[in-house]
Amino acid sequence: MPSWKKDCPCSRANEFMKPAQFEYLRAASIAEAVAALSAQAGEGKIIAGGQSLVPMLNFRLLKPLLLIDIMGIAELKFLEETPGGGLRIGALTKHHTLETSPLVKRLFPVLSEAMSHVAHLAIRNRGTIGGSLSHADPAAELPLMAVLLDARIRTASPEGGRTIAAADLFVAALTTRLLESEIIVEVELPALAPATGWAFEEVSRRAGDFALAAVGVLLAVEKGKVSSASIAMMGVAETPLRAARAEALIKGRAIDASLLDELVTAVRDACEPNTDLHASADYRRHLVGVLARRAVIAAWKRALGEQP
Amino acid sequence: MQTRPKIIGTAAKRLEDPRLLTGHGSYVDDKTPAGTLHVAFRRSDQSHATILSIDCSEALKMPGVVAVLTARDLEGLVKPVVATSKMRDYHATPIYPLARDKVRYVGEPVVAIVAESRYLAEDALEGIAIEFDTLPNVVDPEQAAAPDAPLLHEDAGTNVIVRREFLRGDVDLAMAAAAIRVNRRFRFHRKTPMAIETRTYLAEYDQGRKSLQLHTTSQIPGIIRDVLTDILDLPTVRVVAPDVGGGFGGKASVYQEEILVCILARKLGRPVKWTGDRLEDLSSTSQGFDEIVEAELGLDEQGRILALTAEVVGDIGAYSIYPWTAGLEPVQVVSFLPGPYRVAHYRGRVRAVATSKPPTGPYRGVGRPTSTFVMERLMDMAAQKLGLDPREIRLLNFVSQEEFPYKTASGIVWDRSGFTECLTSACAAFDYEGQRAAQAVARAAGRWVGIGIASYAELTGIGSRISASPGMPINTGTETATLKIDSTGAVTAAFGVASHGQGLETTLAQVVAEELGARLAAVTIIHGDSAAVPHGTGTYASRSAVLAGGAATLAARALREKVERMSAHLLGVTAAEVMVADGFAFVPGSDKKISFRELAKAVYSEVGRIPAEARESLEETKLYDPFFGTTTCSTHVTQVEIDPETYVIKVQRYQVAEDCGRIINPLIVAGQVHGAVAQGIGAALFEEMVYDEMGQLLTASLVDYLVPTAVEIPSIGVSHLDTESPSTVGGFRGMGEGGTIGAPAAIANAVADALNHLNILIDELPVTPERIFQLIKNKEK
Ligand SMILES: Cc1cc2nc3c(=O)[nH]c(=O)nc-3n(C[C@H](O)[C@H](O)[C@H](O)COP(=O)(O)OP(=O)(O)OC[C@H]3O[C@@H](n4cnc5c(N)ncnc54)[C@H](O)[C@@H]3O)c2cc1C
Repeated sequence: MPSWKKDCPCSRANEFMKPAQFEYLRAASIAEAVAALSAQAGEGKIIAGGQSLVPMLNFRLLKPLLLIDIMGIAELKFLEETPGGGLRIGALTKHHTLETSPLVKRLFPVLSEAMSHVAHLAIRNRGTIGGSLSHADPAAELPLMAVLLDARIRTASPEGGRTIAAADLFVAALTTRLLESEIIVEVELPALAPATGWAFEEVSRRAGDFALAAVGVLLAVEKGKVSSASIAMMGVAETPLRAARAEALIKGRAIDASLLDELVTAVRDACEPNTDLHASADYRRHLVGVLARRAVIAAWKRALGEQP
Repeated sequence: MQTRPKIIGTAAKRLEDPRLLTGHGSYVDDKTPAGTLHVAFRRSDQSHATILSIDCSEALKMPGVVAVLTARDLEGLVKPVVATSKMRDYHATPIYPLARDKVRYVGEPVVAIVAESRYLAEDALEGIAIEFDTLPNVVDPEQAAAPDAPLLHEDAGTNVIVRREFLRGDVDLAMAAAAIRVNRRFRFHRKTPMAIETRTYLAEYDQGRKSLQLHTTSQIPGIIRDVLTDILDLPTVRVVAPDVGGGFGGKASVYQEEILVCILARKLGRPVKWTGDRLEDLSSTSQGFDEIVEAELGLDEQGRILALTAEVVGDIGAYSIYPWTAGLEPVQVVSFLPGPYRVAHYRGRVRAVATSKPPTGPYRGVGRPTSTFVMERLMDMAAQKLGLDPREIRLLNFVSQEEFPYKTASGIVWDRSGFTECLTSACAAFDYEGQRAAQAVARAAGRWVGIGIASYAELTGIGSRISASPGMPINTGTETATLKIDSTGAVTAAFGVASHGQGLETTLAQVVAEELGARLAAVTIIHGDSAAVPHGTGTYASRSAVLAGGAATLAARALREKVERMSAHLLGVTAAEVMVADGFAFVPGSDKKISFRELAKAVYSEVGRIPAEARESLEETKLYDPFFGTTTCSTHVTQVEIDPETYVIKVQRYQVAEDCGRIINPLIVAGQVHGAVAQGIGAALFEEMVYDEMGQLLTASLVDYLVPTAVEIPSIGVSHLDTESPSTVGGFRGMGEGGTIGAPAAIANAVADALNHLNILIDELPVTPERIFQLIKNKEK
């Protein structure tokens, strides 16, 4: 055997570091991560999959003094069914896992469907649910799903941690109610009623882009009428929204064309879209109505046991 | 009689791919000689402003910083680059490596920081304070063209950098007599070439020899060498473009950063490198298109074209780029507008207007994506008015076989070429009738399905009688090939072209192997090195297969004759009896045979085996100049479907028929077409550089500047028409750019067809769901 190595990768250290200088800590436990974060008093930053954080570091939009890497914390990696048929999802669960897990497909098919719209495989393979919820992009799928599914977010902090309802977590674009030294450790999804119809509809410029608008719907049907409805939308406000008026509107009724027209109006009225490079507020408002109509029809059909 | 094996025309796998696909390519950024210093730029965040003061004192104190330079520090070290032109009504705009006195676009380099690492250089950027005094905006090209507009270049005295008119016949009379007239104001927005590899430069200066070597991500190393020698006043400069990861025109001009690293390497005596990041690429690499075209087409009641007029305003950005000048893109919009059609009466006027945005430059297809978009939309609009099928109106107006060579209204000459054949062949492969029938069914079911055709002709392989850019004083019409069989029998062929994705290491090897009689795998192609041949300008304008292929053919034929002469001595026959193939010289029908290796040994080492007076070096250099160039044409046919509620556009079918003359390698031709069509689909549906009214770039990352991904690109069918060009050695026609020329027009026509029932016209690209939403909303009002 020759003693030289087959491949000799050249060292490129020190060449392309775009971020400002930082220290790096690989935390081994939740307690260690929380303690380190708290000790930094606002100058520390958790890094999970890095898919949103690293671009911001490279653009020097953020200049933390310490990066606390939580990817090695075993207690954050789990995905299990709760006794009632809900899910407990560890903060480090990857997008790709949520997209492909048979457990998720069985219990929350709407979630695995939505996850296939998140970015590209390479990103889904690194991005985590804790990261996505903390990042709180107004056009990201997981915050929408959290709001749709009434998720409860469990956190850890120097004070011990708490549980936050998804509806209360998101304050504005890229802003949550998490405190400076608080991290997400778990997301709990309560069980759905049996035979809940579901649908997810999204429009984005290219496959994998952030949504221009998206709508998620859950419908339970009893005796040919909607017994409970959950309609959530995103891309059309600073945070994902529940269309409460539209939900109330269809409760107790069967879905038909004129009801759908009313629903579309209710959904459009509920959103406050922004104009950006890819879509005007008017177009987004138009889109969310189109998508809500499609999603409600599809969920209704599923609830009735038909093919959407 | 035995014939030599055919290598030209075979689908040989790309010889460069094993190297490039296994990560063994060597790009500029892969080279970091010991002691290399790294540069980071502080760029302008103002689009038009006077520089009042620059304070670098903090930056200079920061760790690892070796130098901090402004334009003032470079006085006397370099001459400005000036793109001159023979055009009348042209104003050159001098380009300095760093902004001097004022800035003219957001992203223009103002201060250079040189440090021990890029990291430290980036850190030090924060230690620079620049005080600007804002000047009036020069952002809108039509406003900038007004006589009283604020000036970007005071010395030019106007923002209208180029003005030109093409005129044939009596346009006004012919237009007045037209039974049918269609007209429109068209807009093609600005885009960027977006190569995966960003621009990167590494300069090394040999103090002892006073010679400079630059490694550059360039399509034009020969031109860079020539200009650096001049502006730096150096006796010897060598410019090497090693593996280059795509160009699309964005690496075909001289750049400020490129000059600066050379100055620094010379001044500091250490290697100096700059690697652009994506933001720098988006904000400072030359951009493309950006035209407003008001055009009118007049036809008789049968649909025959009578007259065409066009007024073009080209937004050329802040500088007239070197060497092409600001005339390159907008002037060619006007000169190519009549396309492959018989147009007796034509008036095309163009104004190239400076604005405070990054300079535009060559972009794959140059001028013709816009001219084809405009002309092909007008043809469809006319067909609609006349109740003709889009295919029929084109067939009626194409220059026909009997009319070649045909001089167009702007003076371009089309040599014999398959305009009609391309359309017929594309429609056949697309199953045009079948798809029209399927469309009718789909439309009856409420689906918005549209079919679009685009035909165009382009001039490729341009020789010395025409400049690759109108009025440019540099000769782009000649290429050199130097072929050698060295003392080991190895064949090397050196060229002035610079392959950066085109697969020229394969296609040129195919030409050399066949013409010389060598084995394909035994031919080494040297390109992208200004020292390899005395003169060569690089790879752009669909020229390399034609010009370098022609030079290779001539040199290989001459070298083969030498091989025959030398072998004749060794085999004891006359040169006429010797045949060369597969790396052997042999006498057919006998066992007399000698390999290149044995021959080379006999010629160079075994002195005496060939009589001294007959010994020749196995080497040949030939120049090739096709004088005018040749015609390449193509037709694209596509089908799109638009969601009637979300307005999302899907390209579902795509067929190209193209005539690139004698095909060297069908695999590479198809690959070039696929890539170029993908780029054209990007231009039609996604890619747009957006600047606000202050000249700030809004699409400053790949989150906002959308290039199509594999998901957005349909499978693309390509039919080849192998009609040998009568005008070039080897019969090759150029084809690298074509797909980008046809696709925007074909997609625009298909989208317009899909929206036909709404009475909406497509006159703006890219067409996006948002734009369709607005068109429909405005219609409803
Ligand atoms: C090209 C591209 C396209 C994308 N497209 C989409 C898309 O279509 N839809 C979509 O939803 N997302 C998209 N993303 C974002 C992606 O989903 C991110 O992975 C996700 O938003 C962040 O997860 P992460 O684990 O990578 O978090 P990181 O990037 O590591 O962190 C993000 C933020 O969350 C904080 N953080 C991370 N984990 C925790 C925690 N447990 N507790 C508290 N704070 C925490 C970090 O401090 C940081 O502020 C895209 C990303 C890219 C690069």
